Amino acid sequence: MDANASARLKRSAATIAHRIGLFLAMLLICLPGIWIVLSSLRPTVEILAKPPVWIPQQVSLDAYIAMFSGVGKGGIPVLDYFRNSLIISITSTVIAIAIGMAGGYAFARYRFRGKSAMFLGLMLTRTVPGIALSLPLFFVYARLDIIDTHFGLILAYVALNVPFTIWLIDGFFRQVPKDLAEAAQIDGCTRWQAFWQVEFPLAGPGIASAGIFAFLTSWNEFALASQLTRSINSKTLPVGLLDYTAEFTIDWRGMCALAVVMIIPALILTFIVQKHLVGGLTSGAVKG
Amino acid sequence: MTAKRLSAPTLLLLPAVLVLAAVVVVPLCLSFYSSFTPFRLTRPETFFTFIGLRNYRNILSDANFWWAFGRTVLLLTIALNLEMLLGLGLALLVEKASRGQRLLRTIMMFPMMFSPILVGFQFKFMFNDNIGLVNNALQSLGLTRDAIPWLIEGHLAFIAISIAEIWSSTSIFAILILAGLLAMPKEPVEAARVDGCTPWQTFRYVTWPFIMPFAYIAMTIRSLDVARAYDIVKIMTDGGPAGRTELLWTLVARTAYSDARMGVANAMAYFSILLSIVFTVYFFKKLAAARTQIGAEW
Repeated sequence: MDANASARLKRSAATIAHRIGLFLAMLLICLPGIWIVLSSLRPTVEILAKPPVWIPQQVSLDAYIAMFSGVGKGGIPVLDYFRNSLIISITSTVIAIAIGMAGGYAFARYRFRGKSAMFLGLMLTRTVPGIALSLPLFFVYARLDIIDTHFGLILAYVALNVPFTIWLIDGFFRQVPKDLAEAAQIDGCTRWQAFWQVEFPLAGPGIASAGIFAFLTSWNEFALASQLTRSINSKTLPVGLLDYTAEFTIDWRGMCALAVVMIIPALILTFIVQKHLVGGLTSGAVKG
Repeated sequence: MTAKRLSAPTLLLLPAVLVLAAVVVVPLCLSFYSSFTPFRLTRPETFFTFIGLRNYRNILSDANFWWAFGRTVLLLTIALNLEMLLGLGLALLVEKASRGQRLLRTIMMFPMMFSPILVGFQFKFMFNDNIGLVNNALQSLGLTRDAIPWLIEGHLAFIAISIAEIWSSTSIFAILILAGLLAMPKEPVEAARVDGCTPWQTFRYVTWPFIMPFAYIAMTIRSLDVARAYDIVKIMTDGGPAGRTELLWTLVARTAYSDARMGVANAMAYFSILLSIVFTVYFFKKLAAARTQIGAEW
């Protein structure tokens, strides 16, 4: 065999190896999710079957119907949890974005003393593990009597989201050239007007994705929620899922269905932001 | 002092500082104080008894605490290193793909959408000794006859938790490293190839320094929420069997809420906070260093 042919063979072998590797990696990533969706659609008998039934024989939406038809029918109050999760996540996101926009703008556009120390300080507040923070918060909230209220959790989540939101929004404002706002100011805009008419629209998509990121953090948070909520007044979905698993008769199908309900909003939102998110996180990587 | 107008950046940062002070800093000061008291939730008056460093002495001489501490550090070391390696591999695989990049990248983000509690739940389901996917697959393939007690035996449970943790966070590394690979100029790589570098040398001396800052960003982001592992452990094993998967965070939660010993728990919590801060500052420093190194070249 001449060198030419063997090189060609080697190359196609590498291509095939690459394809197989890629396929296996993607399979590993997707498999757990697919399995959950599949299990939520099949009857419990099939999930428990020995030897295992790999290909679903019957597919039905019974688990979802049971879940949303109220507490009586062997379900947990999913609708209440869903509503709580939604209210708390959206409100805290809106507030966090407003605060984060002000802070991010300050970091991106102004020079002031102790800037990097300030930035590091803000980030450090984020390093406090949720469970460590929950101890004093629990105590303080108990005193203020705001345990098990939407307000308490919203306040906690705003604080949780502000540092990261500032990081992201800082990056997005840096991407908007300074000259544009300056030009607008020369043309007679005030700084306030220049911000809303020029810089804000340009950084808009980035800010939106920072918002979605904040939403997801609140939506997924568990450590604080598990201690600061008590009842259907304020329990969120993650806490609800844990309650479900702690019951004696484990209803795998129902839990899988609840998991799917939890993941769907996150799935949709992440698809929307994926492009901006990576850009925002890395914009500071090379420019400093 | 004369009353002067606040400068613009002060004014802009004020809300952020206020919220963080109210929800994070002040409560943390409170908990710092209470770590010097024998405070129990059931007996509020103990909040005002000062006992000095007794809580700290107690936990430092407590074997359970050190086991949990060691286990936490071990888990983080294993998880972060493997996530880094796997993420790098995944990013390289995807970058080489000629078609379907968009789809691949979307799939790659998949685990990021799962909340830790969901990750924990799905792996609890998959590693279930009786009906779990893993055991079913192993048995169907004839690799083992008996059900492997994944979440019931200590070491296996630790492995299962590590797998869950790695599954959920590898994608953060992969995505950020991929962003680095895509942002990298192509000339240096070609120049290295022309100069006769082997693929390994090209990667080690040209590509790797370029993507390093991106890897450190991923590390910094991860170290900001390493405590996510609490959720995963809580739902998968809740620290069991017999405390074999107890991490620092689950121990804190158990001491504070089940045993109601807030004072001791707060003392422990300070160790976990310290651990997080050390991780974050370390990677933040590395990030800054890698950034300036590249800045000189770009």
